[in-house]
Amino acid sequence: MSTAARPPALRLGQQDLKCRASCGYYGTPQNDGLCSKCFRDRNDKQRKMLKAGDMQPILSGSHSHSHASVSSGGTSDRRSPQHFQVRETPKKQVDKEPDTSTLQKKKFTAVLQKTLQAGAQRIAQQRGYVPDPTESQFVKQLQKLRIPDDGKRKLKSEIQRLDSEIRKYMNSNSSKNIDELSDAVQNTYTKVADIVHNDPRFEIATNEDRESAIDFFEKVVMTQNHKFLFSPYFTTDEESDMKVQKRIRQLSWITSKHLDCSIDEVNAEARDLVYSAISELVGIDSYYSPQEKLQCTVRCCRHIFELLKRATGGPASADDFLPALIFVVLKANPVRLHSNINFVTRFTNASRVMSGEGGYYFTNLCSAIAFIENLNGESLGISKEEFDALMSGQQPFSSPWESALMACESLHLISENMKQMERLQKKNGDISSAIAAFEKELIEFQLEVTERVDTVMAKAPLTLLPIKTPAFLISQARAQLLHEGEAGHYQANVLSGGHSLTVHSGMVKASIPAEESGLALKDTSISSIGRLSPLPNLQQPDNLFASPIFNYAAFDAVSLLEEPSSGGSTDVLMLGAELQGGLTNINYDFDLSDQSGENSTAEEAKLNLEEFDPLAQSSATAAAVEPETSLLDTTMDSLIDSDVPGSCVSLPSPLKPEVANYRGFSNFEIPSISCNTGDFSSLGHDAGPSEGHK
Amino acid sequence: MSSRRSRSGPTLNFKAVLLGEGCVGKTSLVLRYMEDKFNPQHLSTLQASFVTKKVTLPDERRAQLNIWDTAGQERFHALGPIYYRGSDGALLVYDITDHDSFQKVKSWVRELKQMRGTEISLIIVGNKTDLEEQRAISYADAFHYAQTVGALYLEASAKENEGVAEIFELLTHLMLERLSQRERETEPASPLRLQALDADDAVSVSDGEQSDGTGTGQRSCCGI
Repeated sequence: MSTAARPPALRLGQQDLKCRASCGYYGTPQNDGLCSKCFRDRNDKQRKMLKAGDMQPILSGSHSHSHASVSSGGTSDRRSPQHFQVRETPKKQVDKEPDTSTLQKKKFTAVLQKTLQAGAQRIAQQRGYVPDPTESQFVKQLQKLRIPDDGKRKLKSEIQRLDSEIRKYMNSNSSKNIDELSDAVQNTYTKVADIVHNDPRFEIATNEDRESAIDFFEKVVMTQNHKFLFSPYFTTDEESDMKVQKRIRQLSWITSKHLDCSIDEVNAEARDLVYSAISELVGIDSYYSPQEKLQCTVRCCRHIFELLKRATGGPASADDFLPALIFVVLKANPVRLHSNINFVTRFTNASRVMSGEGGYYFTNLCSAIAFIENLNGESLGISKEEFDALMSGQQPFSSPWESALMACESLHLISENMKQMERLQKKNGDISSAIAAFEKELIEFQLEVTERVDTVMAKAPLTLLPIKTPAFLISQARAQLLHEGEAGHYQANVLSGGHSLTVHSGMVKASIPAEESGLALKDTSISSIGRLSPLPNLQQPDNLFASPIFNYAAFDAVSLLEEPSSGGSTDVLMLGAELQGGLTNINYDFDLSDQSGENSTAEEAKLNLEEFDPLAQSSATAAAVEPETSLLDTTMDSLIDSDVPGSCVSLPSPLKPEVANYRGFSNFEIPSISCNTGDFSSLGHDAGPSEGHK
Repeated sequence: MSSRRSRSGPTLNFKAVLLGEGCVGKTSLVLRYMEDKFNPQHLSTLQASFVTKKVTLPDERRAQLNIWDTAGQERFHALGPIYYRGSDGALLVYDITDHDSFQKVKSWVRELKQMRGTEISLIIVGNKTDLEEQRAISYADAFHYAQTVGALYLEASAKENEGVAEIFELLTHLMLERLSQRERETEPASPLRLQALDADDAVSVSDGEQSDGTGTGQRSCCGI
């Protein structure tokens, strides 16, 4: 792009800089090369004439106008036609009028205007990322402002006024000019500032509070109207965005060397700072209010200064800063750059961009963009041919040294990463080996515990004296149970249990006859063994008996103890024969007296036993009376038959101790539950195995 | 725009741009000025391109002086208007040993006159007086030139810290003058205001084109 073909966005010649109305001010390309005042004047005039229906002369006038203004410009960049221009004017004319002439819009018929509006609305909907900021949040902020309540009310009414004004303007069908709107907003800012500083309602507020009130005003209005004011459809902001984005993409070959800035691209630290600056720059688009956008710019620039300070060792001057900023903008290629810039320029308080740190950095950003849009080979210190070749992509930019450096740096980064990965891998290995070790330890611990329990059990055999429960009590309990258990669940369980019950009955029967404590203990020991090496045969009965009654296998322990007592005398030998394999290894003779010192359950058991001695005796007598009925192995019918009226209240006490005692051995369950269910324990057989199963 | 700003609050805000070719010492001047007045610790030494300084004006008003540094490289020359838009004053710095930098100042002045007319206070600063023996632009030449364009002329040495503070003090003063002049303009809008101004004020400010060839703006330069 040669100097002659520069877009008028930044007019370099003295003549180009001036307002074409030669009023001494300088114009902007958006205003047809006029200064804002002359532009407005001209627009006013044209509007009046339009109203009078005298359209043609103005239009032709405007054409010649733009011809004059664009004589130095008219580049391919500026040529990109705007959608409405395409519809309205032949291509040739568009080429001659690259500037956004509001006159163009005035030519539209109402219909066209409407379609445009519809299109814009659609665009706005597509954009629809602007959430309606919660009013309440602003209300809260308003309350936080340290200004008098009267002032707050005034401020609020001003906000609403400007808000409705903007909306009204945007919804009106008349042709729109962003500068009018901008002027209106700026005038309101001035007015509000005037009110805040001079109105008696704000009298007691400090200067800072007044400033924050003005800031607040601006922020609320701008955030709420962001969707209307940001890149409005009747401006060319969007086209400019696309243009500058495309241009930056074309300029991707630019390095810090071209710009003569002291950014060391191969330094990791510098690169990090460049990245943080870039992310701030890109983040500008994500804020709604101009203030926030400016703050974002400030943060971006601070990163750059930090970077430059490290590179040059001293405070950076503008000579260093601007090239660096240009570099960052080129590398960031922020979205909707022009829209954002224009939004801030038009709708932030004018003093904000004219003074203060934010204003300075924003101005620098504007110049950076202007530079990017207008740069040519000369400004990068390369020949025009080279520049053109690079821009068109014919000549790939590569300096061997630079590439080597970059490659070197990348390799360095790779090796760093690999080292990191190695470290992580090692750590991972350590962790998994530690896990394996821990697992092993756990197994060992389990074995050790088992072993120790076995030795203790062997060393201190528990001898349980059979407790005799009166047979009638047991049958009562059964009756009770059956009664209560009429509910489907119980029935089903009992029925399902019935089958296996018969299967195992023989075995159980065999086990029951052992009237001595020895039998009971054999069962318990089985259970304890079963835990480690479960005996499948024994498990089934437990389930059967456990589930129908309590749904809780733990209580079967009680029943186990009951059985021998109730079962009275049958052949011990049969049991012995059946269970021999599992039992022979262990000494089943537990002695309560031996244990008493060692574990609390034993003590408990002892106490309980003492307590219920009389019962035990009585049960011994009863056991002789009806041994068969008490047994579950006699099948369901027998249970029903054995229904003997009586109170089951008396039952719990004799059974309680046994439960506690037994559980302490088998699997350390909570003994306290036992007392509730003691009555029913008599029904259960083979508690031991059930526990083992669990 | 400036008048609107000044009315908006009791704290006046002045914006001054530093213009001049690269390596003439713009940044050094600013740094010297800030460091001499401030504890270096308080100076945000991160950057020297944008500095603000609070000054108390003779009439007890507080003012904030914003000094905007600009990139001096030739390639950024075209960006000037973006910077001096809305500024109240401009310091045009050149290197007294470098003739080209003086030519550059001339082009800046022309541009500023076109853009800002009489709205901006101009001070031309010849820096590096410590290199007297290499001087390429004589004091008289520069002074005369400044007179013809209605600017003030000062010489300074950022290195030796000579005349640095004076530059900024004078600049503040000039901008204040212009502000009060503008404020007066808004009220009576009389063609006689310039004379009245001259009579009233100790340091008067030459007023753009009107001072060309006339003696209005000369007094201020003489003492320095």
